[in-house]
Amino acid sequence: MASRQHRENALLASPLVLFLLLILGFPTVLSLIYGFSETSFETLMQPQFSGLQNFRDVLGDPTFWQAAGFSLRFGLITAVLQCALGLALAVYLAPLVRAHPWTVAILIIPMIVAPAMMGLMYRLVLHEFAGPLPHYLYQWFGWSPSFLGPAHVFKTVVLAETLQWTPFAFLLFLTAYQSIPSELREAASVDGARPLRLFWKIEWPLMLPTVFVALFIRFIDGFRVFDNIYTLVGSGPGGSTTSMSIYIYETFLRRGEIGKAMAAAILLFLTAFLLLALGQWLTRRRRP
Amino acid sequence: MKPRLTLRWIVFAVAVFVMNFPVISTLVTAFKSPGEVSRNPSLWIETPTFENFATVLTTSDRLNIYNYLWNSTVAAGIGAVLPIVVAFPLAWAIVRRGVGRAILFPLVVNLRALPLIIFAIPIYMMFSVAGLLDTRLGLGLILAVVNLPLALMLLVNAVAEIPHEIEEAAHMDGARLPRLLFRIVLPLCRPALITTFIFGFITAWNEFLFGLMLTTSKAVPMTVGASFFFATSGGGVQWGVAAAVMVVAALPPLALGLVMYRRITGSLVAGAVKG
Amino acid sequence: MKIRHNLRAGVAALALVAAGSVQAEVTVLGWPGGPEEAALRAVTEIYNAKADVAEENKVELLFTSRDGFFDKLQVDLAAGSTAFDLNLIATYSIGRYAPYMEPVTLSDQAGTVFGDTVLKTMQFDGKQYGVPTDLSLHFLYYRTDLIDALLADDAAKAKYSEIAQQHLGKAMEPKAPADWTWEDFVANALYFSQSVNPDSPTRYGTVIQAKNLLFNMMVFHSWPRSYGGNWMDDAGNITVDSEAFRTALSQAKLLFDLGATPPDSTSYEYAEANAAYASGQVAAMVQWNAAAGELTAAQAATGTTAPPAGPEGKFTHIHGLGLGLNKAAENKDGAIAFLQWLSTEEAALAYAKAGGAPGLAADTAAKLAADRPDLVQVGDYASNFGFVMNGGTSEKALSVYEAQAKEFTGFWAGTQDLDTALKNATAAMSELLK
Repeated sequence: MASRQHRENALLASPLVLFLLLILGFPTVLSLIYGFSETSFETLMQPQFSGLQNFRDVLGDPTFWQAAGFSLRFGLITAVLQCALGLALAVYLAPLVRAHPWTVAILIIPMIVAPAMMGLMYRLVLHEFAGPLPHYLYQWFGWSPSFLGPAHVFKTVVLAETLQWTPFAFLLFLTAYQSIPSELREAASVDGARPLRLFWKIEWPLMLPTVFVALFIRFIDGFRVFDNIYTLVGSGPGGSTTSMSIYIYETFLRRGEIGKAMAAAILLFLTAFLLLALGQWLTRRRRP
Repeated sequence: MKPRLTLRWIVFAVAVFVMNFPVISTLVTAFKSPGEVSRNPSLWIETPTFENFATVLTTSDRLNIYNYLWNSTVAAGIGAVLPIVVAFPLAWAIVRRGVGRAILFPLVVNLRALPLIIFAIPIYMMFSVAGLLDTRLGLGLILAVVNLPLALMLLVNAVAEIPHEIEEAAHMDGARLPRLLFRIVLPLCRPALITTFIFGFITAWNEFLFGLMLTTSKAVPMTVGASFFFATSGGGVQWGVAAAVMVVAALPPLALGLVMYRRITGSLVAGAVKG
Repeated sequence: MKIRHNLRAGVAALALVAAGSVQAEVTVLGWPGGPEEAALRAVTEIYNAKADVAEENKVELLFTSRDGFFDKLQVDLAAGSTAFDLNLIATYSIGRYAPYMEPVTLSDQAGTVFGDTVLKTMQFDGKQYGVPTDLSLHFLYYRTDLIDALLADDAAKAKYSEIAQQHLGKAMEPKAPADWTWEDFVANALYFSQSVNPDSPTRYGTVIQAKNLLFNMMVFHSWPRSYGGNWMDDAGNITVDSEAFRTALSQAKLLFDLGATPPDSTSYEYAEANAAYASGQVAAMVQWNAAAGELTAAQAATGTTAPPAGPEGKFTHIHGLGLGLNKAAENKDGAIAFLQWLSTEEAALAYAKAGGAPGLAADTAAKLAADRPDLVQVGDYASNFGFVMNGGTSEKALSVYEAQAKEFTGFWAGTQDLDTALKNATAAMSELLK
C-alpha cells in the first residue's frame, strides 16, 4: 500500500517536475555556473570561476540596496493600498454586484491591459501638453503638479500600479465576501448587530485568510514590478525608480555583467524562498 | 433600500472612471486625427476619425497585425493550458498527501518573484538547438513557465476547498486514483481551472520581453508587433496610431475576460478563501 | 549528470516537433518605422530588381521593436543567431557588437561618396564594420516669430537684459540664434519661461529631455564639448570631472531649478520633448535633426541652426547608423554583395531620395541639392561641427552613456549634488574605459 502510494505520488508530481527540468533545468545549471564565474556576453562559453566575487560585488553595490529598498517599499505600499481599496469596494459594492453582475466586468478592465501598455498610456495621459489630465487641471485650476518630476514620481508609479491592480484584490474579496454563509449574517442581524459591527465581528474574521492571500500575491507582484515602471519612467533620474527587476535586467543586458546579475537573482530567490518557508512554518505552528 | 443602491451606483461610476482613466483616454485618442492629437488634449473629440484604426488594420507587406494576433492567440493558449495540465495532479498531491510541500511548492511559487529574463541566454541556446526559436510553440512553452506559479497557487487552494468527505465517499466506493482525480476532483475544480486559464491567458498575452527575444519574424506576438506601429524612441511618433494599436491589442483578452467574468467571480471563491 | 542526459533527450524530442526554417535569402534586421525603414525598403527594391542578383541572394527585410532593439541584438548575436545575415549597427554600439560581427570591404566608390569622417562612424579598431546609412546630429530649433518679436521690442530687450543680470550675473542682449553661445541659450530660456518672466508668451523657454536614457546624453554632449569637455584625454585619463562638464551641467541645472524646462522633463524622451515643442509652449530646444519635419509641421515658424557655441566653438554630437555583417551569417557572400552595392553612389542617392539621411561628401550631396537641401545642411554641420567623444566608439561606449545618464539626470533631478554625480561618473567610466 505504502509503496503504491509512493509510486502514485511520484507519478502525480512528474508532469510538473519534468516540465520544469525540461525548460529550466539547463538554464538553472548554466545560471548557477555563471553566478560563480566572471562572465560577459563574449565569454558565455568560457566562464572563469571566481568563487563568491559576484555576490560580494552585488552586496557592495549601493544600487542593489537602493533597488531592494525601492521594491520593498513599492511592494508593501501598493499591496496595502490595493487590498484596502479592493476590500472597501468589494464590501460596499456587493449588493450592487448581486443585483447587476455585469458591473464586475467593467471594474476588472484595468488588469486586462498589458502593464507595459499601461505605462505607455500614462506617458500620454500625464503629459503636460498632450495629456488630458494636466489639460483639465490647467483649465480648472491654472496649475498641475509635475506627475513624473522628481518630487512626485514615486507617488505616481504607486498610484498607477494601485489603480491597475486594485481590481485583482477587489475580485478576491468579492468572492470571499459572497461565499460567507447567509445564515451567519442573518443570525447576527436578528441579534440586532449594526452593519459595521456585523462586518468586524462576522465578516472580517471570515475574510482574513483571503486578506493574507491577496496581500501576499500583490506584494510579490509589486516587489517584482518591471513593465509599467520601465515604460513610464525607465530607471528614473539618478536611478530613483530602479526596482529589483529593473536592476537585474539592466545589470544583465545593459551592462553585460551576467555573473553579477545571476548572483543578484540567486540572492533574491533565496531570500524569497526563506521568507515563504518561514511563513509556512509559522502558519502551521499557529494551527496545531 | 433604493436610495442606498443609488449611492453605490455613484461609487461604482467614480471607481470605474478613475481606474480606467488611462484606458478611456487612450480610446479617445485613437479616434483623433494626428493634427488634433497635438492640438487638443481634452477628452472631447472634435472630428472623430477611423483613420488610425484603418492604418492599424490594413495589412501591408510591412506589417500584418492579423499574424501578430494569431501568434499571440496560439502562444498564449499554450502558455495558459500547459501550466494547468502539469500543475493539477501535483496540486492534489500537495494538498492531500503533502507531496513537495516543503521544497517543490515554495520553489515554484517563488519563480514568480524572479525576473525570468535572466534565463534568456540559455533558453535561447536551447531553443536554437531544438529549432524552437521564432516559433509559437517555443514562445508558448516559456509563457507556460511564467504562468506556472500562479497556476499552482490557485489550484492548490481550489483542491483544499473541496470538502474531504466527497473524496472519502468516492474512495469508499472503491474509485481508483485516476477516476477520483479526473471524474470527481477535476469537475469540482472547474471554476478555479477557468480562472487560472483566464489569468494565465491574459498574462501570457501581455508578456513583452520573451516575445522580443525569442522571435524575429514568423512568431512575433502582438505586444512586440504593436511597438512596430509607434517608434517611441525615434521617427515620428503618432500617438493616434499608437492608441489605436493598443486598443486593438487589448481587445482579445478583454473579450475573453468579459465573456467569462461570471466564471471569474464564481470561481475565486474556491481559489482564495483557504489560505 | 542524469538530468543533463534527460534534458538532451528531451531537447532532441522537441527538435522533431518543431519545423526547421529554410533560408535562401539575405536577411536584414533593422528598425521599424521612420524614414530609415522607408529608405531601406526603397533601395532593397531596386537591388532585388537587378538582373545580376541571383534568386538566392535577394534581400529580405526583418524589423523588430525599437524599444529593446539593442538588448535583443545582444542576445541574438551572443548566442550566435543565424536568423539574420545583416543587422543595424550604430557608432556607439559597434565596439559592443564587434566580437560577433565581421569587418567588411566596401566598394571603391565609398570613399568619395561618404567621405572619411562618415566612414569612420562605422569603424572600430581601425576596421570597417559596416556601410553607413544614416547620420544623426543635433539642431537648435527655435520659434522665429517669438525671437523676431523680442529683437524688435525695446521694452522686451530691457526685460531680457534684467533677467540675465539677475540670474547669470551680467546684462545680456538678445541675439539671433545663429550667433548664440550657451549663455545666450540659457538667458533666452529664462526670458521665455513664465516662472521667471510672467509675461512670457510661452510657458517654458526650452525643454531638455532628461529621462535616464543613453540617447539623451548624446543630445546634451554638444554643450560640455563646446567648453572643451571630453570623456578622456589622449593618455586615457578620464576627464569628465572637468570645468567644461561642471559648467554645462550647472547651466542646465539652473534651467531645471528655475522652471525654464518642464518639471516633468526629467522623465522626457524624444517623443515627449517634441510634443512639448509642438504644443507651442516652448521657445527653443536642441533636438535630433530627424525631428525637423515633425516640429516644423506643428509650428510653422520654426528655424533651425547649429547648436550654440562655447569658448571652443560650435559642436554637434554625431553618430551614424549603418548595416554590418553577422559573423554567424548563413549567406555571407550574398550579404557582402548587398553591402558593397549599398556603398555605391547609385544606392546612396536612391537612399537619400527615398527619405533616408545619409551623411554624404559635399560633392555627392550637391547632386541632391534640389531634392534634399536639408542633407546639405546636415553634411555641412557634420563636417564643420561634428565630433565623437574620445572613447565614443569603444567596446563599452553604450555603458558609458548609460552611466552618465544615471548620474547627470540624478543631479538635475536633485537626488545628488554635482560632486557626487561627477565622482560616480568618473568611477564608472574608469571601470568601463580602462
